[in-house]
Amino acid sequence: MPTWPEKNNYISSHHARIDGPLKVSGAAKYPSDVQPDGWLYGMVLRSKWAMAKLTKINLDPAMKIPGIKAVVLAPAVEERQKNGSDVTMRYYGEEIAGVAGTSKQACLDALKAIAIEATELPYVVREEDAKEPDAPRVWADTPNLSKPGERSNGDVDKAFGECAAVVEGFYTTPVQIHNPLETHGNTVSWTDEGVTCWASTQGITSVHDGLSQSLKLPASQVRVISEFMGGGFGAKFGPGVEGIIAAQLSKAAKAPVRIMLTRFDQALAVGNRPSSFQKIKLGAKEDGTLHAFDFDNYGTAGVGASGSSEGGGSGVALRAPYIYHVPNTRVKQAGVNVNAGSARAFRAPSCPPSSFGMESIMDDLAVKMGLDPVEFRIKNDTRTPGWEIRQKQYKLGAEKFGWKEKYKKPGSSPGVVKTGVGCAGSAWGGGGRGTRAEAEIHPDGSVEIRCGTQDLGTGTRTYIALIAADIFGLKPEQITVRIGDTRFPPSGGSGGSSTSPSVSPAILDTCRKALEALQQQTGVADARGDHWKAACKKLGVNPLLTQGEWQEGLSSSNTGGVQFAEVDVDTETGFVRVKKVLVVQDGGLILNRLTCESQLNGGVIMGMGYALYEERVMDKNSGVMLNPNFETYKLTGLGDVPEIEIILFDMPERGVIGIGEPSTIPTAAAIANAVANALGVRVNSLPMTPQRILAALGKDKLSVA
Amino acid sequence: MSESSSKDGFSVSRRAFLKTFGTSAAVAATAQVDAVAAELEKANQEKIVGPEAVPITLKVNGKTIKLQVEPRVTLLDALRNMTPLTGTKEVCDRATCGACSMLVDEKLVYSCSMLAIEAQGKKITTVEGLGEPGKLSKVQEAFVEQDALMCGYCTPGFVMSVTALLKQHPKPTEAQVRHACSGNLCRCGTYPRILEAALKAAGVAKISKTEVIAYADVA
Amino acid sequence: MKAFEYATALSPATARELAGNDGAYLAGGNDLLAMMKEYLVEPKRLVNIKSLPGMDKIHSDSKTWTIGALVSVADLEDHPEIAKNLPGLQQAAAEVGSRQIRNVATVGGNLAQHSRCWYFRHRDVLCLKKGGEMCFARHGESKYHSLFTGNTCISPIPSNLSIAFGALGATVVVLRDGKELPMSIPQLYEKAWDDPTAHNSLQQGDLILRVELPAQERRSAYIQASEKSVFDWALVSCAAAARVDGNKLSEVKIFLGAVSNVPYQVQAANDFLEGKTADEATAAKAADLLLEKAHVQAHNGYKVPIVRALVRRTLAQLTA
Repeated sequence: MPTWPEKNNYISSHHARIDGPLKVSGAAKYPSDVQPDGWLYGMVLRSKWAMAKLTKINLDPAMKIPGIKAVVLAPAVEERQKNGSDVTMRYYGEEIAGVAGTSKQACLDALKAIAIEATELPYVVREEDAKEPDAPRVWADTPNLSKPGERSNGDVDKAFGECAAVVEGFYTTPVQIHNPLETHGNTVSWTDEGVTCWASTQGITSVHDGLSQSLKLPASQVRVISEFMGGGFGAKFGPGVEGIIAAQLSKAAKAPVRIMLTRFDQALAVGNRPSSFQKIKLGAKEDGTLHAFDFDNYGTAGVGASGSSEGGGSGVALRAPYIYHVPNTRVKQAGVNVNAGSARAFRAPSCPPSSFGMESIMDDLAVKMGLDPVEFRIKNDTRTPGWEIRQKQYKLGAEKFGWKEKYKKPGSSPGVVKTGVGCAGSAWGGGGRGTRAEAEIHPDGSVEIRCGTQDLGTGTRTYIALIAADIFGLKPEQITVRIGDTRFPPSGGSGGSSTSPSVSPAILDTCRKALEALQQQTGVADARGDHWKAACKKLGVNPLLTQGEWQEGLSSSNTGGVQFAEVDVDTETGFVRVKKVLVVQDGGLILNRLTCESQLNGGVIMGMGYALYEERVMDKNSGVMLNPNFETYKLTGLGDVPEIEIILFDMPERGVIGIGEPSTIPTAAAIANAVANALGVRVNSLPMTPQRILAALGKDKLSVA
Repeated sequence: MSESSSKDGFSVSRRAFLKTFGTSAAVAATAQVDAVAAELEKANQEKIVGPEAVPITLKVNGKTIKLQVEPRVTLLDALRNMTPLTGTKEVCDRATCGACSMLVDEKLVYSCSMLAIEAQGKKITTVEGLGEPGKLSKVQEAFVEQDALMCGYCTPGFVMSVTALLKQHPKPTEAQVRHACSGNLCRCGTYPRILEAALKAAGVAKISKTEVIAYADVA
Repeated sequence: MKAFEYATALSPATARELAGNDGAYLAGGNDLLAMMKEYLVEPKRLVNIKSLPGMDKIHSDSKTWTIGALVSVADLEDHPEIAKNLPGLQQAAAEVGSRQIRNVATVGGNLAQHSRCWYFRHRDVLCLKKGGEMCFARHGESKYHSLFTGNTCISPIPSNLSIAFGALGATVVVLRDGKELPMSIPQLYEKAWDDPTAHNSLQQGDLILRVELPAQERRSAYIQASEKSVFDWALVSCAAAARVDGNKLSEVKIFLGAVSNVPYQVQAANDFLEGKTADEATAAKAADLLLEKAHVQAHNGYKVPIVRALVRRTLAQLTA
């Protein structure tokens, strides 16, 4: 089995990303920036009803708007019309039609001009309303609340009787919106030769396949390009309805069409993290070992499986009891349909809500039993992969964090602004899979590495250069890295923290094979470093092209991580200030420390948003989402970012592992536990806004003294 | 032509006349004194244009750009959709995220919330005007070195905000950086590194606490 | 955004003429353009008033501070004399939006801005404030909404400056029908108290020219509580100004923001504080008086303790 080289100049160093200069200067061209000749602006018309039957759609007035070149129906609407079936809109924001024109302004006018007649139907947008038996149904022949999935282990009821302490709690998490800064979208050119799509995507291959299938085009006639993309977080794997519409518009208008969703559109229709409403009962024996667990959860993934969910990982089912070992468990989970946009995979699908529920009740039980929460975790985190790593992380982290000094009896912090600390752990699978790559070595010594992967901002392009530089004995600047094009050897989508474990072994293999081929072909025994130019010159006129692929043994899965948080809570204004987060993360073989740490920071900050600010708010009386913007759907800003300390466990023997997802899993739970520790009461719903903090303190009632 | 008077002695009907016929050379020629010329210049400015597209001239990064835009076109849309200057990003289009930040007459603004037509005559600087690969500005260099970017979509906006801050406060405190950058959002979570980059560009040291520990050495 | 005509006005009078019956003034544009993008307002013509002469100046003499309506919020924030003499105003300015917003936002625009209620701002919700039948917040999601209103609409005033100006006893000079009309802060907003469709007392074509403040020896303070520490709207804001003699307060004015459709004050609270020492008990009693007529909705009861805290902290800042 191959292994990673032990001594490296660049692998595992602190290296600035090679595309940094392009990104900081605006020179990087994102899919939303490309301007192919004659390109048209495109927009999508959406349902303004939560539930309605469209009785008439007249696109003609839109075609009459000056500058408009094409108007098409959304694929699902067109199909239903063709079949003579009802055209029913099932959520506010569902796609109806698309327009393309010479300016954004023409498109805006065209959207206004499309005449639609509709019969409004009863709808339900909130989980707690939708699960009532007499609620309006999202799908006529299916109850909104699905039949729960159930599984159990041991005799749970009997086991609770054997417990020394039992706690019960109800923990809820909101629907979270991905909100990548570059919205979903594509620039699509459909000519007689086929389709070229510049996609803002996490998976050029899945966009390619999606377009080929939807447009009924041979795979060879579809090319997808994504040199840069502005974030995805799980929601950008397929071409999306907007991508298909852009293609149809391009065909009709005979010109390239760019549809990038508006922020408003993005919030409504292209994915989210499902909500959860977790009723949990947990019991432990006298010695502090968990013994019985009862879990009853429901949540919504939007309009349900028949909606536009794509990319997988979008279900409502949580991992319970997540990382802890409980011998007797009963788990019951159900999904509830509401008239709202569908879920999609979202950074560590199902884990942050699982972590919030489980880690919260772990602390509640530890408090009840008078146990130290860190000790309690170490005692019960004994089976889930990564547990040995986490145990060491808890011990080391507690020491670095000053846990023993900082952890006080809940609510004992004096004064109006109370301080508290909390911790939580994470487990994530990840791991690598098939990827191919190629190296082209030119007689002048220049090298190009090509791989059909994409860089979500994680630093893919950069570590490819670092690996090649180390194998060839060159500098990273001497390597040209080309990614984000389906004409390159294929890789998979960037999801599940699988990109680096998938791509890096293929790059290593490719470079090793290329070096071997170069040495063999030129007769130079060691072509590396100082010998490189001379060796390449011996290639003659033709460049040397070598392919390689992913190899077993260079990457692994199952990471462990723990986080500690310290907060100040103002018990009069309900304001939570996160002062510090300590991250202890298993890094496997760290390809690039700098970009690795950046991802860990990012995970913490996104987790902090989940803890304190982010929440989709649906209105029961209008059926709309009230905050499809950044004004009232709040993201963490620099003003609120705490000190983040990172400790990486260097474990090169494990090979490369992905860390993009695990780092966001425990943050909200650690912060929630710190808040509970500060207040002495549990805030059982995320996000922990001032409203919820003060409600938990019983201060949300009008009481004029 | 009837002259209805108003406070500044300017006439509504003349303005209507000017709108209809423009400020033709003939009109100018009949004007005999500077005062009339001044009034004409004023009338030109007070001329009603639109709603159809009108020619405008923008000074961007030291270059003159001539465009034909409707008054409702924002500065952001004009540059992103009508010129190759796509470095500035559209993210929220509602003055909440900062990705569209530009300097207009040295002031940091959201270009999504300024009309292109009102940016005429002003000095506009976009991220492309600060530096380019190989010739990056100090702030841009610091962003690269500190890894103050991930997907990079918010980055041009943050670079503009930090650049504007350092013009006002060449040696900012950490609190000033946090306050100055509060109008910009990042979803990847690059903030700690943006803070470092801003301070580094200002020559102030700030390094995050990070360490790598060999697993084998952990008790 | 719907297409519109555009003109730049060089005098207040022509600005008024150009605005006509269906035009709107464009200054900073933050609020107006955002509403136009959602099709909440569709003015036929935008009249750029940023070139109106002399209106972007701050002037002070022994009697009066004169702040032009086109002074940017950033200029207020950065003005050293204002920071020294009118700290409550400076703090209120510093909390407005972000630096990008403050650089273009004007004093006039901040005072005249429209409700940020998420129903009002939603393109597909026809709420009471937009001429619809019902206040959706009252029956729906009300966590950002008012504790006090004189009508059915419970959307709160978003203007930070109005709260600070109120405490400082400002006069807002408005050009109406060719004449200058001085309005106190309560007068500038009183119409919004009764009329659900009103955001303030301004009429079509009214142009805020300037704000005048009596030069004062009173101290002032402004504090807001939000969900995020910066660049966020206030859940509750509190501004206070008073003469402070040792620990004793006099000539006190307290205004609350984000809890009513107008800058909210209770004369009895101001009166009560006259001659009192700003201690915990006094502050608590003042807060009681301010909260006397509070009416809590389904989700905004938490604003009550925040009001109490901010009243106490603002008074404490005055005497600090």
